[in-house]
Amino acid sequence: MKTSMPAVALWGKRAPSHSITAIMITDDQQTIVTGSQEGQICLWTLSSELKISSKEILFGHTASVTCLAKARDFEKQPYVVSATENGEMCVWNVTSGQCIGNANLPYRHTAICYYHCSFRMTGDGWLLCCGQYQDVVIIDAKTLAVLHTLISFQSSDWISCMCIVHSTRIQEDSLVAVSVTGDLKVWDLSSSVTSIQERQSVYEQESKALDCTNCQAIRFCTYTERLLLVVLANCWKVYDYCDFSLLCTEFNKSGQCFAGGEVLAARRLIIWTEDGHSYIYQLLNRWAQIGNEHKKFSGHSKSIYPADGKVLKETVYPHLLCFTYVKENKSFPFVMGFMNERKEPFYKILFSGEASGRITLWHVPDVPVSTLDGSPKEIPIAAAWTLQDDFDKHHAMSEGIIDHICASEDGTESAAVTSSIYVPNLDKLVCGCEDGKIFVTLALHAAKARILEDISLLKHTLPSKVLKGHSRSVTCLLYPHGKSARFDPSWLVSGGQDSCVIWWDIFTEEILHQFTLQAGPVMNLLLSPENYRLNGHRIVCCICSDHSVALLHLQERVCLLHARKHLFPVKMIKWHLAENLLIVGCEDDSVYVWEIETGTLERHETDEMAKAILISCEESECLVTDSILPGSQDTQKHKIAGYKSSSSYKLDTLSHNLTHTEKSSDKVRPFTILPVKTKWNNISFHVLLFDLEKLVELLLSSQLSGLKSSNSFHSYDTLKRAKSTAEKKTLMLKRNKTAGSLFPMDGQVKNACEKKVHRHNSAARSLEESSGIKRHKKMKSSKKIRLQPPGKIDANITADTAKLLLSCLLPWGVDKEVDNHCVRHLDIFRLQCPVSFGLVSNGNHISLMLPGWNCNHCDVVEEHMPINLFSRKVLDLSNKYITAGQGQTGKKYGLHHNADGTQGSQIVFYLLSRVSLVNRIVTLPLEFTSAIDRTFYIFSDKSGFHFPDPGNVSLVKLISCWRDQSIKIIEVIQAALLAEVQRSMKTLKKTSVSNQPMTMIDNGNSEVQTLAKTEQTEQMVKCIKNIPFPTAVSVGKHGSCSNSANFQAVEYMPDRCVMEESESPGESPLKIVPEYQMINMTQLLSQSNKAHCNAASFLAAGMSN
Amino acid sequence: MAAAMASAAERAVLEEEFKWLLQEEVHGVLRQLQDILKEASHRFALPVGGTEGPVKQENFILDTSSADQVKGVLMLQGDALCQADINLKMPRNNQLLHFTFREDKQWKLQQIQDARNHVNQAIYLLTNRDVNYQFKTGSEVLKLMDAVMLQLTRARNRLTTPATLTLPEIASSGLTKMFTPALPSDILVNVYINLNKLCLTVYQLHALQPNSTKNFRPTGGSILHNPGAMFECGSQRYEVSHVHKVECVVPWLNDALVFFTVSLQLSQQLKDKISVFSSYWNYRPY
Repeated sequence: MKTSMPAVALWGKRAPSHSITAIMITDDQQTIVTGSQEGQICLWTLSSELKISSKEILFGHTASVTCLAKARDFEKQPYVVSATENGEMCVWNVTSGQCIGNANLPYRHTAICYYHCSFRMTGDGWLLCCGQYQDVVIIDAKTLAVLHTLISFQSSDWISCMCIVHSTRIQEDSLVAVSVTGDLKVWDLSSSVTSIQERQSVYEQESKALDCTNCQAIRFCTYTERLLLVVLANCWKVYDYCDFSLLCTEFNKSGQCFAGGEVLAARRLIIWTEDGHSYIYQLLNRWAQIGNEHKKFSGHSKSIYPADGKVLKETVYPHLLCFTYVKENKSFPFVMGFMNERKEPFYKILFSGEASGRITLWHVPDVPVSTLDGSPKEIPIAAAWTLQDDFDKHHAMSEGIIDHICASEDGTESAAVTSSIYVPNLDKLVCGCEDGKIFVTLALHAAKARILEDISLLKHTLPSKVLKGHSRSVTCLLYPHGKSARFDPSWLVSGGQDSCVIWWDIFTEEILHQFTLQAGPVMNLLLSPENYRLNGHRIVCCICSDHSVALLHLQERVCLLHARKHLFPVKMIKWHLAENLLIVGCEDDSVYVWEIETGTLERHETDEMAKAILISCEESECLVTDSILPGSQDTQKHKIAGYKSSSSYKLDTLSHNLTHTEKSSDKVRPFTILPVKTKWNNISFHVLLFDLEKLVELLLSSQLSGLKSSNSFHSYDTLKRAKSTAEKKTLMLKRNKTAGSLFPMDGQVKNACEKKVHRHNSAARSLEESSGIKRHKKMKSSKKIRLQPPGKIDANITADTAKLLLSCLLPWGVDKEVDNHCVRHLDIFRLQCPVSFGLVSNGNHISLMLPGWNCNHCDVVEEHMPINLFSRKVLDLSNKYITAGQGQTGKKYGLHHNADGTQGSQIVFYLLSRVSLVNRIVTLPLEFTSAIDRTFYIFSDKSGFHFPDPGNVSLVKLISCWRDQSIKIIEVIQAALLAEVQRSMKTLKKTSVSNQPMTMIDNGNSEVQTLAKTEQTEQMVKCIKNIPFPTAVSVGKHGSCSNSANFQAVEYMPDRCVMEESESPGESPLKIVPEYQMINMTQLLSQSNKAHCNAASFLAAGMSN
Repeated sequence: MAAAMASAAERAVLEEEFKWLLQEEVHGVLRQLQDILKEASHRFALPVGGTEGPVKQENFILDTSSADQVKGVLMLQGDALCQADINLKMPRNNQLLHFTFREDKQWKLQQIQDARNHVNQAIYLLTNRDVNYQFKTGSEVLKLMDAVMLQLTRARNRLTTPATLTLPEIASSGLTKMFTPALPSDILVNVYINLNKLCLTVYQLHALQPNSTKNFRPTGGSILHNPGAMFECGSQRYEVSHVHKVECVVPWLNDALVFFTVSLQLSQQLKDKISVFSSYWNYRPY
């Protein structure tokens, strides 16, 4: 099951580029949707005062967006469909920002019309699409599958524009379209519904050559039900819909190109141009001007019931009433649209989007009039906004992840990050900046320092290194150890705009070697495949902006080959092992074959031969390791988006790479930083990804076995001191061995853990593998201890991550009491400013909130109070959640019995497991329709023995129905969190009155059994049973209910006792943390070990059951 | 390195040069591009004389050097195949079959139509930026060239990569139903463009017995199927017994392909020229 992953975006000072290629306003006039050349969809809030603020950016497409259209009846479902240059289609819920469906079809759409005929059609309606293919394709709005095509009998060609004619007078819905060669075609829609469903051929009803090319738009006047507006690049025409006779033509002035138009009212038109101007015309009757005797004629034609078209013919001419224009920046084409008013509070809006990313709105008056002297009147701009405006306005929110480090260096403004990579095994973030500096810092701590309040101390102690070597901006980074363990973990390779490639030691900040390529900015750095080695080493491959490719051998400090003949940007790099060849595929589909040893160009082939060479390379053993896409600077973004079903090979390998890296990293880490680079302005931002499920897993297992880090501490320290690579490797091996042998029991527990976790993945993992992962983690946390002054910062990276996530999710600023409670009892920090939430769903769709998302609330509350409430809806939902969860409230609170700060981490764990549960419910596959089914599914998925209690059932019901109401996942999570925190607060108050200290449990087995008799423990067992532990160490499905519940209690006990022992009443929670750590490391080690022994014996008992 | 140390005077020169590039050179290249593409576009339309009037009909005699199993003449009118005359010698009985197109039918070569439309789109993009237009930024030029190159690449790819069809798709395509006398059920034909060549493939089939011991494996999509390829059509299984491919060079397609290549190179060179300057300014969207 794919769940969604919460994410937090850390933007930079500069907004990502968003060159608008498509724009629309939703029917409720509350959201503006834009699609960009970069492939993202942006959602903007449009207030009732016509104020624009950016809301959310949606990643999912991999190519330029060509068109946007509504995809459902908007009042029922706020869905919008987007299509791209490469044939991808996505349906988005613009309220929740989720991708509802996607498809990849071999069609390039340029326009989409939604059509639904409720009384003839079942289902969600059709998307009528036209574009760079013959005629019209009908796509099912729900499944995005091709249903049928509308075909032309005569002169079939591409359709350049179309509109649906819905006329009460004609009693027939038709599709009117104009082909690129200027043929107007009419297809019946409503009467051919059945024949389309039965897939019979549907030909056009009428076809007429209009004798015009470059048709931009066609519109039907629904007011008169008679006029047809056709906008061409150089003129616009009005036709009579009855017989398609030409009524009037108006040519453009001063070389402007018309781009579209719309009918404003009966006989009133608005036409806009490609450079952002628009003109409102009134169609006047010629007869009315001439004299009174023709009055009856004019009256006649105004009411539009003339007996024959001839009366109307040649009688209208346009009169310019109003115009709009933009002063600056005409250099980019505009995409414009017009939104007619629908009901009262709605406006008539003319809107435009520019390639520069600006949105401009004009409020068109209901009755546009010219000035008194008859000259046209200008309509002023009502609003104009760009993403950058929001980034400037909410500068606190748009601060980058390492801005505080750069800024602290000198007083000047920090340089923008132009490239960055995240090194998971060291938990380091490496950022290359515009000014040529490279910052190396600890990822999680940088994120914490950026996001959290009261942690300013951390900012100064934050260990960061600055590598200075490049003279201009750093364009790409490569961490070779991440690709191949043979490389030293301290190595980093960076490429810059100064055409230098520098090989660094990130620990010592030394430059090991500098290669000067003199080939323009370095665009990308790749590594040769695992099986291609030269003198036992993989080589680094640089792609430069002059289309040359350089092969560097790091260890020997030489440039092996600099292939400079390519005329077009490099698209593909392949390696031929047997013959020692480098095969370079260029964007014009030509292929260059280079001999690596001699550096000579062996072959240059185009067309068929080039294809054959590439294919033969695929077939031979040597596969591509790395492929870059057209516009190679965009690789990161493409990684985000991923490819579902790609037709070409290079995309396949990319998606393979993506899934591969995702798999390997996600299994281990609950927290990753994903650097994202934008296309045009080359600015990167960072996305923090939290894997909820893994986080809960790790929290649990770290609570079980987290105390061993102290042991590996020493060995890692020696490792650090060891200088030579060889020494390091052997030491590492040694350490691993000892770590493995030190805790044999622990390994068993972990193994069981892993079994449980990956049961539904059916990925059986060996003991070694799983303990390897743990070791990995230990290494990280121990490293942290070494780097940080102990006692200041929590050593446990998992706990840190959990707290950071909670800090980000909690609705700060809603209720002071709640805030204080969280700070005091959960030991988490307030936020510096609201965070930009994000969500990764379906593996390749990311939605990120933009800095302007909560501007609506900002006005209400004082500025200095950071308010992180997602929307007012959350409060409402939270109340509902509390009522729904009422059934289980009684039992739940056993967990929070002791009103002490040390329980914080436990509560954190509990809260996160709830969040994870909520997340699971929301992202549950739709096929589980009934609430009971869902409940069983959710709980059975986690562990075989959790029988849903009524409270949970009602919760699942409630949350499932929220999902159908297009409520954001983040809203649900926040509501649940708020409710849970409030609930825990209540119990805290209750229990503090009659606080009954828990008995100490020293040793598991017998103690638990005696304790089990006491009421309290029973309660606790129950409550633990209620909490779904995704990672609970369990015996599997066959364990009986009570037995496994008991077992869980045992699992939990040791941890509890550890905590209780470490607590010392009266101390502030902040101080307890280090103490807790110290105890963990020294005294309690043996104790926890004992507990683990007990756990293991219980496990055995459970198995035998 | 060099640019970082570039003196103010150097910078001024660069600025001046960049300005010249945007104001003079770009328009020169665009003009040239437009001329080339218009020339390419004319190749597709091929009017009889002058600019107006019906599109000229051209006869192409298919090359039969390989074997004289298939002889044929195809008549091309713009993007449509308006007449076909195919003589087929059956290998088994040396029986001679003769087919022509039905009078009322034309077969549209989608590849040619798409290529023509893509070129026209590219021309339209260029006409919007005539000499009077002032380019202010480099990225504007880059975006324009990207859009033009996208269309040109597609135009070229349409001609260089024929659709890969499965045999059932060929069997059900309209082309097989266009002949008079109707094609026998054991013959399939397919017409496509490959680079500068107009290709006709004729597949001779033989029906597989339902109880045949032969291992039936339907073949996937391909430009050209080999003998032995199998497929199922209307519950009857067939195997391709003979394949005849005859082709003929269409001169104007060759011209068009050359024009595409030249204009793609021109566009890329212009992009490269702009990009050179990009490395001199870090902070400006060049």
